[in-house]
Amino acid sequence: MASSYRRINYSVRPAKAIERKMLCDAFRRLSPFAKVATYRYLGFGSIYFTDFHLFHRALGMEDMLSMEKDADAEECFLFNKPYNCVRLDCRPASAVLPELDWRAKSIVWLDYDGKLDETVLSDISTVAARSYSGSVLVISVNAHVEGQPNETVRQQYKAETGLAFDLDAYRLRELHNRVGEALPPEVLGSELRGGGLARISRKLIDNRIEETLSDRNGLLPSEKKMLYRQILNFNYSDGARMLTVGGILFEAGDFEKFEACSFNELDFIRFGEEAYAIDVPCLTMKEMRHLNAQLPEAEAAALSLPGVSTSDIRRYAELYRYFPTFTEAIFT
Amino acid sequence: MPENPADPKRIDASPTKEFFIYMLTRDIPLTRAILDLVDNSLDGARRMRPNGDFDGLWVRAELDKDHFKIADNCGGIPVDIARHYAFRFGRSKDAPLTPGSVGQFGVGMKRTFFKLGRHFSVHSVTSSSRFNMDIDVAQWMALDESEKADEWHFEFQNIEDKLIDVPKNEVGTRLEVTQLYDTVGESFGLENFLTRLKQEMSLAHSISMDKGLAITVNTIPLRHEPQTLFESDQMKPAFIERTYQGELLNGKPDARVNVKLYAGVAERSLHDGGWYVFCNGRMVIRADQTSTTIWGQTHGMRQYHPDVAYFRGYAYFDSDDAGLLPWTTTKTGVDIDSAVYKSAQLEMVEISKPVLTFLSNLAKEKAAIESGDIGDSTLEEAIHSAEAKRTDSLAVTRVFVAPQPRPRPPGPRMARIQYSKPLTEVEKAKELLDVHTFTAVGEKTFEYFMHYEEKQ
Repeated sequence: MASSYRRINYSVRPAKAIERKMLCDAFRRLSPFAKVATYRYLGFGSIYFTDFHLFHRALGMEDMLSMEKDADAEECFLFNKPYNCVRLDCRPASAVLPELDWRAKSIVWLDYDGKLDETVLSDISTVAARSYSGSVLVISVNAHVEGQPNETVRQQYKAETGLAFDLDAYRLRELHNRVGEALPPEVLGSELRGGGLARISRKLIDNRIEETLSDRNGLLPSEKKMLYRQILNFNYSDGARMLTVGGILFEAGDFEKFEACSFNELDFIRFGEEAYAIDVPCLTMKEMRHLNAQLPEAEAAALSLPGVSTSDIRRYAELYRYFPTFTEAIFT
Repeated sequence: MPENPADPKRIDASPTKEFFIYMLTRDIPLTRAILDLVDNSLDGARRMRPNGDFDGLWVRAELDKDHFKIADNCGGIPVDIARHYAFRFGRSKDAPLTPGSVGQFGVGMKRTFFKLGRHFSVHSVTSSSRFNMDIDVAQWMALDESEKADEWHFEFQNIEDKLIDVPKNEVGTRLEVTQLYDTVGESFGLENFLTRLKQEMSLAHSISMDKGLAITVNTIPLRHEPQTLFESDQMKPAFIERTYQGELLNGKPDARVNVKLYAGVAERSLHDGGWYVFCNGRMVIRADQTSTTIWGQTHGMRQYHPDVAYFRGYAYFDSDDAGLLPWTTTKTGVDIDSAVYKSAQLEMVEISKPVLTFLSNLAKEKAAIESGDIGDSTLEEAIHSAEAKRTDSLAVTRVFVAPQPRPRPPGPRMARIQYSKPLTEVEKAKELLDVHTFTAVGEKTFEYFMHYEEKQ
């Protein structure tokens, strides 16, 4: 195992930055549906508005709305709003989304800090129920399964269930409390270990979108039926394990436009259950420059860098075009 | 229907096939309609194993957007029963009784077929017979418009009776529905529908699964959870057993319904708290929190509320004659007007009261601890130290047993005061009073006031 400085760069969130740029590359391909600049962007800008910066500058988007659940700090969010075209709504997504006019193509990134729960699933339903053909829905949730809880929590578990504490059963119960009836009964607590929670969270999101679309499509003629095709399925960890899953919502009649987007040409696109892991090697600026001078190079094995493992080099070669630099992390 | 010129006084009241195909099917949700077919398999299991040991028996449902199939190894449908009873609309009164049966109304299987699609087939093998039936619903309906207007029969495709040496592994029933209705196929293609179906199936049939019946949906084996209640030295769930018998039930002197009622506490859950009702082992009501069981003014009780989320009640109605049980034809509820149910309901209310009193005291205890009136949590401790036990292995008593709340400790009665002030002012008061908590600010300012005002 590499030393800790090779595993996590504590000063930045590199995987998140890489993911953001990959999303940007994917959105660029929406042009068969419409010019990306004409899309509306709905996101959670927080005080940094990093996604708003990027999508405005790189994609030319101008119709942008940031939803912010912390209404008390409105002043602070307004102050940090980077561009005039960014609007702010200081209410949770669950309050904002149902009130929007959905007759515009939208890119919606519901970038939650917390784990998947009924509120998140309900927000997903709103977007899937209303979105215009060619829209994009992306969801990020924390998918880090609970560690061994402290004695108080264990006692409480025993008191509430009347059963001896068991970590797998506890994790399953926590998940069930969050998502309720949506959880398939055959899921076992032991399946949540490691990347299991991310896998099941993706499944629950997918199931919810499919169910909402099924209700929406019930009485529509076949070419008007709304379809969902997943294109994104990222797993990464800047500390806590995260899941980002997303796709395109489009009418069956627009299938050719979807095909014309050629998402499959991008390496990180994932249409199914298997996730693309953003696994960030921790390299110094000098090491990166050294590798950059040799890239692009189809064979990672041909790259050389003293003292760095071949797997780190290979991972860098995969990600280098999306790699954050410190200037970006500090000044955007 | 042609008029009957011979008798001008005659009024036609005969049923139409449309009524069964388009009307009756509206009364039952799709998931429940499928559960009805599992009930048919279960009745086969009961004919085969009257002792109730279902070990080795299975029911396998397979469904996707184009097909529905359910197969079992539960004995098959005897030709005689198929010919005279199983496919009749409504149960005939001379139909042979399957003791403890769960399919009683003579409507379940047909209703499910009509609900799902336009074509169905039945393939059954018993230890001594075989038959196939293949029905196209449109053709069957078309009979209505011909001269055969009152033709209500189905026909066997193949039939073999009085066989010997039927291989054991062939014995069973296979039901298939094809040409599914669009909405049905759409649902069957959804993971979330399958999740609901599996959940409802494992709840509804948990008792049969406990007896060894294995159920799978699209090859995924269902798990079940037996009903449990908390039990300890200090805490014992209540249990009452009643037998209703006699001619008043159905005119037969040996008619009998047995009722077992349990009430107590279990895992705290707002969603799962309430009463559960079973008829011949089939759950028909799950976590009821309405006046259908015990809650609300109708019964002189409070509404269900979060304080009682620990409450569980289980009512088991059993009878050899399933027609005496208080279920509805869809098995999604109880017939609240049934005499048996009304009588049991009174007992359900009474058996619940001590549990609800305990839970109300528990809530008061919590409030008293928060306000500092008392220090020890006797009632909460009683729950903490109890263990979840299956209802069939409980040490029960007639009346719920739990610790009584401790009497209020000696000393003056206390009152709690609460108010809000701007944070900056409270911080200033903290400094002036030289204390570290908001509670202390409240107490000191109160004492300060009383010190000066009381003297005057």
